[in-house]
Amino acid sequence: MTTDETNGEAVEETPPDTFEGTLWPDVNRALSAVDVRPERGALDLIVHLPRKDVIRGLGMLKHDDELHFDYLRSLTAVDNEDEGVDVVYHLYSVSKNHNLTVKTTLANEDKVLETATTVWQAANWLEREVAEMFGVTFNGHPDPRPLLMPEDVDLSDVHPLLKSHPFAEIDVLQGEGLGHDRDAPGDV
Amino acid sequence: MAITPGTATTETAELAVAPPETASEAPPAPEPMMPGEHPNEIPALVPIVPQPGKALYRQALPGVMQVPADLVLAAARKSSLWPMTFGLACCAIEMIGTYMSHYDLDRFGIVPWPSPRQSDVMIVAGTVTKKMAPAVKLLYEQMPNPKWVISMGACATNGGPYTRYDRVLQGVDKIVPVDVYVPGCPPRPEALIDSFLALQDMIMEERSTEGRGA
Amino acid sequence: MVVEAPSEFETQDLLINVGPQHPSTHGVFRMVLEIDGEVVKDLVPYIGYLHRGAEKLCENNDFRQGIGYMDRTEYLAAHNAELSYVMAVEALGEIEVPERAQWIRMILCELNRISSHFMFLGAFGIDVGVFGTPFIYAWRERETIIDLFEEISGDRMMYAYFRAGGLAWEVPANFENRVREVLASAQQGVKDFDGLLTENEIFIARTKGVGFISAEDAIEMGMSGPTIRASGVPLDIRKTEPYLFYDQLDFEPITANGGDVFDRYIVRLQEISQSIDLIGQCLERLQPGPITPERMPRMLRLPEGEAYIRTEAPRGEYGVYMVSKGGNKPHRLKVRSACLSNLQALKQMSVGQYVADAIIILGSIDIVLSEVDR
Repeated sequence: MTTDETNGEAVEETPPDTFEGTLWPDVNRALSAVDVRPERGALDLIVHLPRKDVIRGLGMLKHDDELHFDYLRSLTAVDNEDEGVDVVYHLYSVSKNHNLTVKTTLANEDKVLETATTVWQAANWLEREVAEMFGVTFNGHPDPRPLLMPEDVDLSDVHPLLKSHPFAEIDVLQGEGLGHDRDAPGDV
Repeated sequence: MAITPGTATTETAELAVAPPETASEAPPAPEPMMPGEHPNEIPALVPIVPQPGKALYRQALPGVMQVPADLVLAAARKSSLWPMTFGLACCAIEMIGTYMSHYDLDRFGIVPWPSPRQSDVMIVAGTVTKKMAPAVKLLYEQMPNPKWVISMGACATNGGPYTRYDRVLQGVDKIVPVDVYVPGCPPRPEALIDSFLALQDMIMEERSTEGRGA
Repeated sequence: MVVEAPSEFETQDLLINVGPQHPSTHGVFRMVLEIDGEVVKDLVPYIGYLHRGAEKLCENNDFRQGIGYMDRTEYLAAHNAELSYVMAVEALGEIEVPERAQWIRMILCELNRISSHFMFLGAFGIDVGVFGTPFIYAWRERETIIDLFEEISGDRMMYAYFRAGGLAWEVPANFENRVREVLASAQQGVKDFDGLLTENEIFIARTKGVGFISAEDAIEMGMSGPTIRASGVPLDIRKTEPYLFYDQLDFEPITANGGDVFDRYIVRLQEISQSIDLIGQCLERLQPGPITPERMPRMLRLPEGEAYIRTEAPRGEYGVYMVSKGGNKPHRLKVRSACLSNLQALKQMSVGQYVADAIIILGSIDIVLSEVDR
């Protein structure tokens, strides 16, 4: 295994994982007001929050003195088809040098979430990208325009990173019909 | 009066020793001379007697070569192609490497020029996405005639490795007419030089057709 | 240099569109500047002109084909991009990588950092106005490094040399000697650039005090790499969260105090020297041995899980978040792009400066558009 920072080793034999050696005790204390469920990831601790408490929980994590997660590494989403869309936040603390992953699940019919720009400014463009790629609406976002998709074309129902969005077909393989007609009197 | 050789000296002698009693009269005009008679005559202005079997212009102007005008124009165009710097993606880095001193393109007269209105060739180097396609078309239309397009790399030819994504235009030849396709991902600088040489051959071949942008 | 326009005239602000085809936008980037005279009042960046869908296409390609897409995401530092991806696959599949492969990976990543920083120096020189000379110097150095990469992996820019578990094939026999030759030439290149630009009065006048961002703002915006180190934050993933064998090497993150464009230039210039030193240390520790684990399956199937692997690419933190639900293809691959996060701060750094300064601020962030747009 490469020499990455592992926050403790997994307890293989006994089923209930007490998450010793990870950040879980501090995170549990900081998020005591909300309903939180931990999980162990390959490198970091993963914490699942319900949708209504995500932004509150993130704010608590940022302003907590011991945890002090002041750096938002990444904000993304995962499409789990029928089970909904997971929105994933990767947090890091510059002063304390520890990591955390926060996840929340949105149902497919109701992909609405509060914006995290109130907590970190870095979430601005990251949320715009998630909004156009997955169809998630972030309430209260200061600038809800598409980021990578064209703005002049109405693509409000085109969300490329959803699993239901198909790949393009290759329309001309080879041979005749290579695109533009060279000999036609054109507008050039 | 009759013009005969040999009468010049006698006439000037006659005028020189004209008797005083005829000084008030105008002296008679000299007789015209044959070509080659006057001592100061320039020999080249002698009218040519054309010889059959040799082109007239070669006898009149020896040492001058005659070429068709379109050959001169085509040679001038191909020797000084100025591409518009239009690097979109990774192929742009190889294109820049070809301009630099290791694989010099300046020795062919190819100088990168940022403005489309003063360039001849557009090298589409990189993937053209559907968001970028209107800009590509506009830049192509801003170039004055004659103009050519080199489609560099797999992405500009047919979408390349990204062809299955629906926001990518599957080949730039869907919006502009392309003259030379360069395969590769990215093509080596030698491949780009080869494409310029192929374009130069094409310009010389097509010099007398009206064509697109002649 | 924040300038105020005189207020007794009735003026109108002008909207200027820079890009997407522009000699100084480093690719297809567009920004609309609202200027008052020559002072930038507002800056709206537009990206997405190179959005090619690498993340979606990787969901359709297995764990070896995805390496090619990662190369093309960051084409100037392809080894660093491949490294994050293969490390994510190894983390999910719990694959052991032999030592020799790790050291060679480190050497190649640091060489790629050198060549990427040379490209920055050349392109930045053009932005500042020294048209031609730094760019040609930079390419002279890059060509020596790229020739070495071509001897190793067969390609000048898209190497696809790292594999999950190690490397694709063994390096050539004269690898060490060639690397030392390249390092000697790179050292000379650094001296050339230092002599050309660092103490140049015009360069200093153009770049000092321009494009300032404070350390707190940089952390808030999620910036990384030399851009944040120039503001004084010693955030270097090779030091704070070491991967490969960086914890065995002796180095300190290079920081500067000013947070302006000149400091970003100085940090990158010194990082080239630091990388030359690091490669020297790696060559001392390089031992013969295998480069792939003994039993590598042909078609890699990973168990369920997710991993977020981050490495220090030349532009900042290049992270790969991979979710696998079994099978031979990733369920979701997210590329955390350093340039996207760095670019968010462009407006904050440029408002109040002149138009020409906005161009060099954009150049100093050192963006690669295919990483921003993926």
